[in-house]
Amino acid sequence: MLSFLILMPVLGALAMLLPVRTSFRLWFLCGVSFLHASVTASFWRQLPASEWQGYLVLDPLGLILLSVISLLFLSVSVFMIGYFQHEHRGNRIFTACLLSLLSMMTLVSVSYHMGLLWVAIETTTLFSAPLISFHRNQGSLEATWKYLLVCSVGIALALMGTFFLAIAAHDIHTLFLPAILSGASSLSVNWLKLSVIFLFVGYGCKMGLAPMHSWKPEAYGQATGMVVVLMAGGLTQCSFLALMRVSQICYKTGLNDFYASILIVTGVLSLGVPAVLLLGEKNLKRSFALSSVEHMGLLVLGLGLGGVGIFGALFHMINNALAKVVMFLTAGSVAQKYGSSRASEVQGVIHIYPVTGVLLLAALFAGTGMFPFATFHSELLIINAAIISKHYLLPGLIILCLAVIFIGMARIVLEFVYGASTEPVLAKKENLFMNLTIALAAAALIGLGLWVPAPLSRVLHDAVVLIGAS
Amino acid sequence: MTLWIDVSCILAVFLALTLLATHRIVGMIKIFALQSFLLSLVPLFLHADSLSGRDLLFSFGTMVLKGVLVPAILFWAIRHISMRSEIKPVIGLGTSILFGAVLIAVAFWVSLSLRLPGKLFSSLVLPCSLATMLLGFMIMVTRTRAITQVLGYMVIENGIFLFALSLFDAMPALIEMGILLDIFVAVFIMAIVLNHINEEFERTGGSASRAKMGETL
Repeated sequence: MLSFLILMPVLGALAMLLPVRTSFRLWFLCGVSFLHASVTASFWRQLPASEWQGYLVLDPLGLILLSVISLLFLSVSVFMIGYFQHEHRGNRIFTACLLSLLSMMTLVSVSYHMGLLWVAIETTTLFSAPLISFHRNQGSLEATWKYLLVCSVGIALALMGTFFLAIAAHDIHTLFLPAILSGASSLSVNWLKLSVIFLFVGYGCKMGLAPMHSWKPEAYGQATGMVVVLMAGGLTQCSFLALMRVSQICYKTGLNDFYASILIVTGVLSLGVPAVLLLGEKNLKRSFALSSVEHMGLLVLGLGLGGVGIFGALFHMINNALAKVVMFLTAGSVAQKYGSSRASEVQGVIHIYPVTGVLLLAALFAGTGMFPFATFHSELLIINAAIISKHYLLPGLIILCLAVIFIGMARIVLEFVYGASTEPVLAKKENLFMNLTIALAAAALIGLGLWVPAPLSRVLHDAVVLIGAS
Repeated sequence: MTLWIDVSCILAVFLALTLLATHRIVGMIKIFALQSFLLSLVPLFLHADSLSGRDLLFSFGTMVLKGVLVPAILFWAIRHISMRSEIKPVIGLGTSILFGAVLIAVAFWVSLSLRLPGKLFSSLVLPCSLATMLLGFMIMVTRTRAITQVLGYMVIENGIFLFALSLFDAMPALIEMGILLDIFVAVFIMAIVLNHINEEFERTGGSASRAKMGETL
């Protein structure tokens, strides 16, 4: 079943390359995403057996990521039907790359070999690069270049880290995750420390954590909303899975404190840097990109704090993905309607597009973690973990950063929604497919904020046990 | 055979240093091809007494991908971008050689305190791979042209490759080939993006915007 889930999108991608009508490709994409989502949903009933001699295993951690990815693709593929009604650029390469990306992200979530994990994550970088430069203008090409170069070099460091891990595991002679975990006592600690640092910097670069986030505002600012959703909700969290795998190894070898200190410092930085930068930002997509840096910071903070923080981080993975759907699809739909996402050119959205305006407000509240959106709860859990673990300065710092980020985001979004209205370039008509997708995601996020279903809570708890906290 | 591995390691560092001091882009690509070719021979030296099919396959794969195809793609890219020489490195060539020498010393000094477990076939592998990586970073930082940055990235990858050989037995062949293929495709996509950037500049009336972008191409 797992290899089917990986190979099916690849076959779909090949089918996309055939000369068929644009609309056919969109419906086909919808079909593939729906199939992917339904197979993933069946895994919630029972986890599938391992395949390819243990290379592919789906554990609760992977299941959370896989479901997130599946959900993101489903929503994006429905959104695209609406989006491409006003887009005249061909979508052959675009859809083919999308499906290849789906396949590789699936591979990330099920790979149980640290080498294979690296190969899969590197391949996602390669397939997402052509997606960023979809509009083929100067800005997007420049952003693609920056993304490719920064992430390739970052990922090269992660490769070095993987090799260091292989040296640390010299006695075990393999990089299979279960073998490393069960033979943890025979790992050489010094090499492992070196490996942890390299893996963290490498995958952290791909995740866009604070000192390595420079590609993020550019890439998210230039790519279309749909692509950004997949990157901010899917790709970055794929790298987070890699960081969680490292966390598993660190827990078994007693390097937990060492790794946690790295995670907490980077997490705080990833909250502080966007807080400062957001106050001067004039572009909607770029400011959402900075908020995405903040959410990545929250994820690693939760992982670093341990205990209930890990639960919070895992819950935040799902919430972050849904919030990203609301934020970036709305931003994408605004950008398409006005041909820009700069505050000087887009204002008063609610007067012309009432539904989009309301969704933009929902995006603000979902992205900054306001009640009743579920992001509020996961952020609260992470702050709670900071108090429990007796880092008393930390909660204050987190709340301060979140407050400043809220002010920065509210400033730009409110100007977009309520300012004196500017003329859009497109007809004054809302699109059903686009608005429906966003509204459903927002509703799901509110639903999760009010009630967590029992199976979800069970899988989250299983996943927390895997990382090692009680 | 340890002698030949030592020689390859030293030559790899030497070529990386030469790359740092080379002005012409065509020359740089040729030096890189030579370095990759040299490194692709190392798996053969490793098990010279009992060559297996896997060694041959890996060596041949590296030779074709890194030694032939990647340079070919880079040549294709510069033909389209039609730029042959580096405009102005951030720091002068003489100074960068000096810095390069310092980096090599640092690499050797660092590797003194790192001890590889198990049997080590050559004591030069670790310091030389670190030195090659550092020199690759140096090339990326000091050169302003996009194509030379790609070359710097590839030199870093060559350094990592040299290091990977020291644990050749721990990595399954499938993963090794996946890594190689990924790096190859990365360069391929970078070349395509470069080409698109160039087309876009020519369409929008090049020089002004090119100056604005700060010699990235």
